[in-house]
Amino acid sequence: MRIEPIIGQYVTVTIAGTPRRSYFETAGQGRAVLCLHTAGADTRQWRHLMNDPEITAQNRLIAFDMPWHGKSLPPEGFEREEYLLTTEAYIETVLAVVEALGLERPVLAGCSMGGRIALQLAALHADRFSGFIAIEASDFQPAWYDIDWFHRPDAHGGEMGAALVSANISPYAPDVERWNTLWMFMQSGPGVFRGDLSFYTRDDSLTHRLGQIDTRATPVHLLVGAYDLTCTPEDARRTADAIPGATLAVMDELGHFPMSEHPAGFRPFFIDALARMPARQSKAA
Amino acid sequence: MIESFRVLQGQLEQSPHLLRLGRLFSETVLIEVEGEEIYLTFEKGHLTQIAQGVSRKTPWRFALRTDAQALRQFWQPRPAPGFHDIFGLVKIGRGRIDGDILCLVKNLRFFKEVMALARPQAGGAACV
Repeated sequence: MRIEPIIGQYVTVTIAGTPRRSYFETAGQGRAVLCLHTAGADTRQWRHLMNDPEITAQNRLIAFDMPWHGKSLPPEGFEREEYLLTTEAYIETVLAVVEALGLERPVLAGCSMGGRIALQLAALHADRFSGFIAIEASDFQPAWYDIDWFHRPDAHGGEMGAALVSANISPYAPDVERWNTLWMFMQSGPGVFRGDLSFYTRDDSLTHRLGQIDTRATPVHLLVGAYDLTCTPEDARRTADAIPGATLAVMDELGHFPMSEHPAGFRPFFIDALARMPARQSKAA
Repeated sequence: MIESFRVLQGQLEQSPHLLRLGRLFSETVLIEVEGEEIYLTFEKGHLTQIAQGVSRKTPWRFALRTDAQALRQFWQPRPAPGFHDIFGLVKIGRGRIDGDILCLVKNLRFFKEVMALARPQAGGAACV
């Protein structure tokens, strides 16, 4: 028997004027690294890194479930609301969590839509962070599918979403982690994946902001898997090229959910990314 | 090429979890490979018929159109990026999917895993 070192807690943050009971996990000590999950998933995507003693010896990893995701509740009245994530709400959410947990300029690591918002924050609120690790992140990705497929009364959106995103998982991923990764999508609440994709596939506001990111003040490192069909290496290269001083690593045997689908393959790339970030200490939450 | 679909058909009968996933799937799917047409007819998840040849009379629900080399790469144990998924073939310009896409998406896990059955199985038969 082994009890994992990950600690789960709840914090209530106010977003758009309403309280949101939000779930977060922490592991480790030292420099704070705030981790953002992908669309349609939750903090479990970070479970391997948070259980990695080499990483957590000097890094305090914090991951939280976005409202509507995982163990974080949707807002009061959600039953009458159409969930559509926006850049503004996403930024407000991340900054509210940073504030609520008392994090002093953490490194921000985000994957997919989490990587997209990390780059938005690098452009708009860099003073709140010490560096950015943008995983499977790009300037803009229009949908190559109909996002309305994933919220219908006559089909299970989670199962369809999982079947779709399986296209982004590398054949090198161990089967058990492939299916653990897909399980999160299968569990996603009705309409949540669609609402995340609305942000990811319709908001192109980052494109014209990339040039204003100052990597001398806050480094930006991008990571992209060769098997990612959604954010391809070409997409990540285009994005990195538009950010003066940004660096990029292509992960040949990984896909769109590298920390979750193939933790052993992702580990050296994440350790390298952390090494590129400034060493800072954070206040305790 | 047709031999690979015969292998796939046999593998499906040995995959009870896929037969369970496909228990509501009774449709004909067109696979077009460089003009060659292969009609896969499913009945409650079982692949009951594989018909070859050009036909304008056979109704189908959705179609996957690709080329033989792309399909061979798709059936490698660890395909190269883009060849690892039917949507990957579309993304890299080596495939096209048309017809009733919603029907495909509702049965996406079943159909993708059935198509992948022609990949060499651990300790099993390889395909051409």
